Amino acid sequence: MTPKRTSGNPATQAEAALTVKQQRERRRAEKLAEYQRQVAKRRRRGLMWWIVGGVATLAIVGVVVASIVFAPEPAPTYEAGGTGAEIEGVETFTNETTHVEGVVDYAQSPPAGGPHNQVWLNCGIYTEPQQNEYAVHSLEHGAVWVTYDADAVSGEELATLKSHLPSSYVVLSPYEGLDSPIVLSAWNAQLKLDTADDERIPEFFEEFWRNQNAPEPNAACTGAIDGPGKQ
Amino acid sequence: MTAERTGPPRWLLVAFAVVAVAALAFAVGRFSTFGVAARAAAPTSDSAEAGFARDMQVHHAQAVDMAMTLYRETDDSDLRALAYDIATAQSAQSGEMYSWLVAWGLPQRGGALMSWMAGDPGHLDHGSTGAPATEEELLRDMGMATDAELTAFEAASGTDADCQFLTLMTRHHEGAIDMVDAILRLGEEPRVLEVAKSMKNVQQFELDAMAAAALRLGC
Repeated sequence: MTPKRTSGNPATQAEAALTVKQQRERRRAEKLAEYQRQVAKRRRRGLMWWIVGGVATLAIVGVVVASIVFAPEPAPTYEAGGTGAEIEGVETFTNETTHVEGVVDYAQSPPAGGPHNQVWLNCGIYTEPQQNEYAVHSLEHGAVWVTYDADAVSGEELATLKSHLPSSYVVLSPYEGLDSPIVLSAWNAQLKLDTADDERIPEFFEEFWRNQNAPEPNAACTGAIDGPGKQ
Repeated sequence: MTAERTGPPRWLLVAFAVVAVAALAFAVGRFSTFGVAARAAAPTSDSAEAGFARDMQVHHAQAVDMAMTLYRETDDSDLRALAYDIATAQSAQSGEMYSWLVAWGLPQRGGALMSWMAGDPGHLDHGSTGAPATEEELLRDMGMATDAELTAFEAASGTDADCQFLTLMTRHHEGAIDMVDAILRLGEEPRVLEVAKSMKNVQQFELDAMAAAALRLGC
């Protein structure tokens, strides 16, 4: 500290003293104001950070939520053929596919696949039983073989059964020794039924008719041989 | 003053930025699949595209059958070439239509025959009774040959068989062109429309060729 300035003039003396005091106070006030400005600035900057950060966070969360909420429905999945999981009573098998001559001893009755003649049975409505070895070749091409017990299914019941059939890739025939009145057979899949109005008939056709898991789907079911009793 | 930073610590900012960028990338990635998913989901089981793919396969199968019959039986080399062309081309198209349904995850069977054309103003001319058309009527509308016509055609030989083929296949092609016109009005799937257009062009050309052959053979 500098020694106090003295003056004989009391007025000057007072002014000098006042000025030093004032200057000190002014400096202190300036320091305080500067400090307060800094504090306010820091507070503003802090607030800015919170606002910017908060808005950014909200925006990003919003975008992420939107990307999940507005996602389009996934395409409906349909496992065509082979699973049989959705139709009660459908049995599935694993049969080999080879061309053979003569009579084949099939694992299922009526056969739902297996070795078969090199010639296929033309699809259509038959009033007489058909030879397994030809019909199985039609199954290989994606046809459904609808067999029925002629003693149990006739007249109106048979007409109802026919009403379920597509216009192609179907063989309808009576079959000797069926263990249920109606049996639907596709390649490696079979459904045994009691009545022609069973709602599982259209379901079976939707699932197994021209099934992509048949060995040769889309090969012809015409142009080969007509069995006996073709209408 | 300079050393004194305001706001959150640097590491928190970096962490925040990393999380923000990752979240944005995640969202952008999801958004980018929207269009693909919407496209993949486009044809449903009751769509015109699915109906066309199913019914045109039925239609093509009969054309292939008739063409194969003529191919075996005809003595006319021009008609044999035409039959070969129809049988192989329509088999290939049938395979493509089959595979559309497989790719769309749809069964080969679904909906009533020709029901996909119900929304087409150019059709539904089944009299005024309002009764739903029978399967026979629908097949006739499609230009399909009846079982009796097929049996007669298979039994015929020589020029008679050739002429029956030309009559049946001409009507068959005209039915196909009606179906193509319907899908061109009702459908949206680009590949379906493209194949449908080329069916129409080829079958229109074949109609002219068959008309010329009928004239030449004196049918």
